[in-house]
Amino acid sequence: MNFIMSFLLFPPKFPISSPIFKPLTLYTFPLSSPKRLSLIKSITIQSIPTTPSPPISASRSSYEPNVLQSMEELPKKLQEIVTLFQSVQDPRAKYEQLLFYGKNLKPLETQFKTNENKVKGCVSQVWLRAYFDSDNKNVIFEADSDSVLTKGLAALLVQGLSGHAIQEILKVSPDFIVLLGLQQSLTPSRNNGFLNMLKLMQKKAFTLYVEAEKGIESRPEIQNPMEKVELDSKIENSIQNFEVDSESNGDSNDSKDVGVLGSRGQRMLEILKRELKPIELKVNDVSYEHGGHGGVKGSNGETHFNLKVVSMDFEGKSMVKRHRLVYSLLEDELQSGLHALAIEAKTPTEVTKVDS
Amino acid sequence: MMTMEGVVLKLPSFTQLMNPNHFTNRTSLNLRFTFPKSSSSSTASLSVPAAAPVSLGHSTRHDFEILHQKVNNGSKLVYLDNAATSQKPSAVIDAVNNYYRSYNSNVHRGIHFLSARATDEYEMARRKVAAFINASESSEIVFTRNATEAINLVAYSWGMSNLQPKDEIVLTIAEHHSAIVPWQLLSEKTDAVLKFVSLTEDEVPDTKMLQELVSEKTKLVVVHHVSNMLASVLPINEIVQWAHDVGAKVLVDACQSVPHMVVDVQNLGVDFLVASSHKMCGPTGVGFLYGKSELLAAMPPFLGGGEMISDVFLDHSTYADPPSRFEAGTPAIGEAIGLGAAIDYLSEIGMQKIHDYEVDLANYLYESLRTVPGVRIYGPTPSATVHRAALCSFNVEGLHPTDIATFLDQQHGVAIRSGHHCAQPLHRYLGINASARASLYFYNTKEDVDDFVRGLIDTIDFFSSFK
Repeated sequence: MNFIMSFLLFPPKFPISSPIFKPLTLYTFPLSSPKRLSLIKSITIQSIPTTPSPPISASRSSYEPNVLQSMEELPKKLQEIVTLFQSVQDPRAKYEQLLFYGKNLKPLETQFKTNENKVKGCVSQVWLRAYFDSDNKNVIFEADSDSVLTKGLAALLVQGLSGHAIQEILKVSPDFIVLLGLQQSLTPSRNNGFLNMLKLMQKKAFTLYVEAEKGIESRPEIQNPMEKVELDSKIENSIQNFEVDSESNGDSNDSKDVGVLGSRGQRMLEILKRELKPIELKVNDVSYEHGGHGGVKGSNGETHFNLKVVSMDFEGKSMVKRHRLVYSLLEDELQSGLHALAIEAKTPTEVTKVDS
Repeated sequence: MMTMEGVVLKLPSFTQLMNPNHFTNRTSLNLRFTFPKSSSSSTASLSVPAAAPVSLGHSTRHDFEILHQKVNNGSKLVYLDNAATSQKPSAVIDAVNNYYRSYNSNVHRGIHFLSARATDEYEMARRKVAAFINASESSEIVFTRNATEAINLVAYSWGMSNLQPKDEIVLTIAEHHSAIVPWQLLSEKTDAVLKFVSLTEDEVPDTKMLQELVSEKTKLVVVHHVSNMLASVLPINEIVQWAHDVGAKVLVDACQSVPHMVVDVQNLGVDFLVASSHKMCGPTGVGFLYGKSELLAAMPPFLGGGEMISDVFLDHSTYADPPSRFEAGTPAIGEAIGLGAAIDYLSEIGMQKIHDYEVDLANYLYESLRTVPGVRIYGPTPSATVHRAALCSFNVEGLHPTDIATFLDQQHGVAIRSGHHCAQPLHRYLGINASARASLYFYNTKEDVDDFVRGLIDTIDFFSSFK
């Protein structure tokens, strides 16, 4: 909370000559490695923190809210793959690694090379298949492609995501390809194919889940009950809001609605808790209500929130001042994709008056 | 080859021509048309003293700043994707710049100084295009956004009012999508029938089959001049003859020919011809349709709006004469002027000279590529009678063209294209999904070809080691 960063979301389209990729520590102490500036253009650091970096509490990804999902949020196997690629510096060697993955990919039977399984937007042909393992809990993927580089990418995803639970698969943001350092080695259009591959895998995983759920009674977490033929955008919206009890927060007295918060919601919760010491705090992610809206496009959900804060700190402040206070505390989030807040800011006395 | 001076004298009705201000914006007036039909080794640049013969590629390179850069992992750029778009010389960039800096103004409407100057330059660009392809009048040139729009213009405007159900349109399977889809859309509306000519064993369109397909039912023949994938050249004179014998019109897609060789529409006898500025050293956003005066005069409007009208009432409007009739709204003024500057630049070198250089370069590319094992090039084999354009579409056994293009780009800085090159029917006919394509222009050199082939061999080695 002590500094503000604004930067380009992705490395430039015209690749930088020598991709410098720092190891994992990059993500916890960005300011200490000035070389990182060569990776991401035009970083403006507006004020330097006087205290050491904020406690590693909620999530490490608070430094790059929109760009890079922190490693820990990736499925285990994918983490391993990312680490492997990061240890390889030379672009040619990265290719070799990629090709190696592709070579070891289990071939996909011809019967599965259908239009439904084809990834759109790929310059080459890519097919994906998803099915449940024997326990009906984890998703297994299979893939194939006529281009060896694309096959390598597909193999990467298959290996990294297969055998994991649906929640984990759906949490994966395509940004992680930046972590691989492959984006510098591969053309942008190929990366778009990668994006679409991941999206298709997530969509297929979600569809599997929904169909399985239909066999049991439907759970309340599913925002929009799905048929297999739903429109992509609807599916993607629900995928973005799909968080099943994976991020429970300890303190049940002060905070509610913990079950369905993503990383931004978590951060906001932490910040408001720490700074305002509220006796009541509600953070609701209502991004799904704004599905077609300009502020949501291109983000990972978590764009619109309803807040209710009851705190002593609001005493003596006008409504405008209270809202300003909340906004200033959440400045980082607003700079990085949070689009709108609906704030209810009360003092303890105001609340008891109403309640009684 | 018509000279610019020649054009000026030929159209004395434009009194603005007498205005000396005209010449301040021309990039070079020292027109060297006295060059005999020269080989590729003679000098072209004004500034280079006539010492040892320098290839056209070497002498023109310094006009193209964009070619002098490093990409990706520090490799120097080798740009071999000219069939997709060409690079622009400083003269063209300066012309567009100068337009916006000095006399940007809307054309045809204003009376003031800037507007008059903009109008002059814009209409001058039209005359340059007309002269470049030897149209008989500049009013036979309609500026469009690009060649695709020009074809759509003909389809919509000429096609809708001239085609009856069961009328036939003859095309080849090697046409660019832009020369196929508008006719498909048209045939849905008018019930016209599309007939396609396939290839011979030499992988060129079967002209015999074309001749047979052209019948009394044919109303239009749509063909490319130079194929963007096969590198073959069609005998337009003969095709026009066959078509006119049965009363059919001919539309030629000259996108790959106008930039690279002398194209004389009166000589060819075509009824319609389309081309894009961006493939001939001009800016994107402008292209043109050539149509014979009597044809254009009979065509109803395409897009409606300002500029193309004569009088506008509430219940109806009357329309302007061609070419204005087909130029609704404010045109791409700066871009058209840029196209004019590109034509000046090319004319200064001489289209015949460019063509001769490229024939030589094309052979060099083909022969070099052929030596690489596993490479399969599409289109005809070059010979004394068969000239290929300076491009090669190819595949390498066991490798996907996208992998080739990616590796070439990333490791060697060589820019080629992979995909279907807007010719899916052709690819399907050849039994392939995609191909790689290297396409050259007069600013490429034999060294560029060498770099490409070297990179290709390295690429094949790399991927082969994984088999």
